Amino acid sequence: MPEIFIDGERYEFEGKPKLLQFILDNGKEVPFFCYHPEMSAPANCRQCYVKVGTPVQNRETGEYELDENGERVIRWFPKMQTSCSMEMTDGMVVHTQETSEEVARAQKDTMELILINHPLDCPICDQAGECPLQIQTYKYGPEGSRFEVKKVHKPKRVELGPRVTLDAERCINCTRCVRFTEEISGTHQLTISSRGDKNYPITAPGMEFDDPYSLNTVDICPVGALTSTDFRFKARVWEMNQTPSIDITGGKGTNVDLWTRDNLVLRLTPRYNKNVNTHWMPDEARQAYRKFNENRISRPSIKADGDNQIKTSWNNAIETFAEKLESVKPADVMVLGSAHASVEENYSLMKLFSTWGVNDFHFSPDVKDGFGDNFLLTDDQAPNTNGVKALGFNEISTDDLKTAIKSAKVIVLLNDELVDRGVLGSEDLEKPFVISLATNETETSKSTDLVIPITCIAEHAASYVNVEGRIQRSLPAKETKYTHRKMDLEMSEGRLDRYGTNFDNWVNEDNKIDCTPTWELMNNLAKRLGLSVQFGSSREIMDEIASSVSTFEGVSFERMDDENGIQLTGITKEEVSA
Amino acid sequence: MSFDWKSYTPVIIPDIPNLHEIDVYTNNGGYESLKKVLSNDWDPEKVINEVKAANIRGRGGAGFNAGLKWSFMPKPDGGPRYLACNGDESEPGTFKDRKIFEYNPHLFIEGALIAAYAMQCSAIYVYIRGEYYSWIKMMEKALKDAYDKGFIGKNILGSGFDVEFHVTGGAGAYICGEETSMLESLEGKRGYPRVKPPFPAQKGLWGRPTTINNIETLSCVPLVIKNGADWFTGIGAETHPGPVLYGISGHVNRPGVYELPTGMPILTLIEEVAGGMRNGKKLKGIIPGGSSTPILRGDALEGVNMDADSLREAGSMMGTAGMIVMDEDTDMVEMLWRISHFYHHESCGQCTPCREGTGWLEKILLKIRNGDGEIRDLELLIDLCSQMEGRTICALADAAAWPVRYTIDRFRDEFEARCKKSTYALA
Repeated sequence: MPEIFIDGERYEFEGKPKLLQFILDNGKEVPFFCYHPEMSAPANCRQCYVKVGTPVQNRETGEYELDENGERVIRWFPKMQTSCSMEMTDGMVVHTQETSEEVARAQKDTMELILINHPLDCPICDQAGECPLQIQTYKYGPEGSRFEVKKVHKPKRVELGPRVTLDAERCINCTRCVRFTEEISGTHQLTISSRGDKNYPITAPGMEFDDPYSLNTVDICPVGALTSTDFRFKARVWEMNQTPSIDITGGKGTNVDLWTRDNLVLRLTPRYNKNVNTHWMPDEARQAYRKFNENRISRPSIKADGDNQIKTSWNNAIETFAEKLESVKPADVMVLGSAHASVEENYSLMKLFSTWGVNDFHFSPDVKDGFGDNFLLTDDQAPNTNGVKALGFNEISTDDLKTAIKSAKVIVLLNDELVDRGVLGSEDLEKPFVISLATNETETSKSTDLVIPITCIAEHAASYVNVEGRIQRSLPAKETKYTHRKMDLEMSEGRLDRYGTNFDNWVNEDNKIDCTPTWELMNNLAKRLGLSVQFGSSREIMDEIASSVSTFEGVSFERMDDENGIQLTGITKEEVSA
Repeated sequence: MSFDWKSYTPVIIPDIPNLHEIDVYTNNGGYESLKKVLSNDWDPEKVINEVKAANIRGRGGAGFNAGLKWSFMPKPDGGPRYLACNGDESEPGTFKDRKIFEYNPHLFIEGALIAAYAMQCSAIYVYIRGEYYSWIKMMEKALKDAYDKGFIGKNILGSGFDVEFHVTGGAGAYICGEETSMLESLEGKRGYPRVKPPFPAQKGLWGRPTTINNIETLSCVPLVIKNGADWFTGIGAETHPGPVLYGISGHVNRPGVYELPTGMPILTLIEEVAGGMRNGKKLKGIIPGGSSTPILRGDALEGVNMDADSLREAGSMMGTAGMIVMDEDTDMVEMLWRISHFYHHESCGQCTPCREGTGWLEKILLKIRNGDGEIRDLELLIDLCSQMEGRTICALADAAAWPVRYTIDRFRDEFEARCKKSTYALA
């Protein structure tokens, strides 16, 4: 196997990896800005310099020539090489900044040059705290600057499109954003304008940067030049907690991070998963954070005198729920699961009602034909269609649903905006008694008789099966009235949780929602109805599902965490991603 | 050198009226070399070997053996292969190719056709700088005439060899004279130099094997085929042979383009060929081959000849042989600032050291020029040059750094005189 010596250590490699990627893969570090593993290497930032040499071989025998000490004779490249574009060859010898003064000096030189026209406005820059330029300057940069003349001035606060704002002075011209639109999203909307130290990325005159994936350029921008118009100036990075989760606006199951502060989700960013979305996510999915904060239902409400809903107590809500069920036969109750809810939620609903006597379980699929793009957007608008199907919920068409509703006396509706997405009209829900378990106040929840607030994906740990049959789970990012960040081991800790005093943290009880996970609601209902159904945490529910539903065999939270999601074998891929 | 330059007869731009017209050109032995190689006994291999033996060193500045460059092309695989001719001529002080476009365009066309035949190229692109608008038009006319006469196109002169010939005008960027950014520009993209490897011979224009040659280099090719490699190597300097177009500008009495053998003594070129210094002033310095080549002091030119070896010994380079002559009244600080301003303006902005470094150099030089500089700024300038040289994708950073490094080195007294005494040292 071919070998390479990096800083005196021997490594073996296969194929033709690029040097920088190989160095990073092996846990070593070389500073870089323009390189991105998903895109071509333009080698323009000149930051990832290393010293490279190849052993001298005898032309005829192919044997390595040795010096008087029996060491291989190395022919060094006359100039230092950018490791991002360097192809590895057998026997290559590499020195990084760790073992070569010359390399460390060259990296420092480049850093000094990068910084001369950079505004250094970190105190007011959104990128500060997660800025590769900032981090690498501390690690590899010069101590000061010798630049005593005027910096170049360029346009600031340029709205490139509806979602992205540019500060051209901060730009270091790595061209990642330009290459993203050329190589990943394929819209070719960005280019570099002007020459030399006056250049910056921009759209063609009169054009908007309205790429459906435009916000990814904000993520990959190694400085604060491209910022999210929505998020900018909202929070400092170190004030937020970062919680791994799943996107629920589509069927792809894009891996995301939820960034929370003061119990509000402030932004979503993509989380790397090589099997699903790699580094990217669609712009639309980033808007989902609003649903976690705004229009949330807190405390149950019940319809009283006419069409007005009034808030009620949990006891009253459960009592009303149970009384309604007891007043009818199981055959008169229609239970609708939801592809917008998790596997655990649907399972707990199904288990309670089948124990009580209901036999048929349905859900209404949420598919928009032609919406998918063979990348990260799918026709399926729900995150868990395959999950509910695998649990045994039957798909029901709009017409069948309308007919079925007419004959039902009580309808239990798990979080699904049937009225809002046009499946039902609010008049369809007038006759039966409709109990909806919902996260957000919507037209659907307004048209129902009893609304019970449940936790959303940002508040519970639960799993979702994407269009390709991959099961992945969320972690709780927000506290509810009944959970506490320090008590829940699944909740992430931010820097302030770990190192700050109580007074450092942002605490506001107003942002805690009075809601409960579906399975806990089912527990209470079971107790009231006298059924022997009892659920533990969602982790335990998943273990129960794994042992009772064949599709989920072997699935557990631990495995999902270790393997970054599990591909279920029983589910055929509906769509194959490009 | 006791060479009698007056007895030399020009061959690249000979003294024949209306040579740019195809009939005049063919009446004076034009396209005979093309006919010669397209006849049966010259296979492409033989053409390449002949050109290699003639040791035509690239006239665009790098001075690489043209025949050797041609031999780097991979074996034909049936796909398209290209010859790209670099007529961007953007280096300040250089204006030689324009004479070929104007006075002897068919010599260049013939050379390009022979080169295309030698490398089995399917198309030739000639990239001419946008400012040369009239010469682009002239070239288009010349190509049309050559097409009409059957020298370009399908089955040239019944040999079965096909080649297409296209003219493209630049849009005024210096960087598009760099061979790989010229390819980008030809492809209709922004002129950014490409990372090498892959070299153009493997992946050039539209990802296909491509060779890039200077206009003057290609113009030498028909002469080599016609007169033989020995004739060519017999002209001028031994290691850098052939006729060359000297573009002499600056403070001389007769600035202009002069075709003479390589290896001409610089002082002979200034004193005799260009008619001596203007107004009888003293010579202060020369830039021998376009603005990026290191400046030479006027008092150190005795015995220095215009060929690669002699100039290397003297501490400079042949470049494009576009010589800029400066008299004793020249303000070296002003001159250097102006050159730095040019490179600052023309840096494409792709690589950090060049993008930021060229601007910084210019700003410091401006400060010195305005009398606000300090001695320590000179050290900073030299330091910056080390931070730029050899650290970028193309050679523009070197081209910007060399004039600064060598002008300060060779005229330091003048720079120091302009600087204030430093009050504190720079970290």
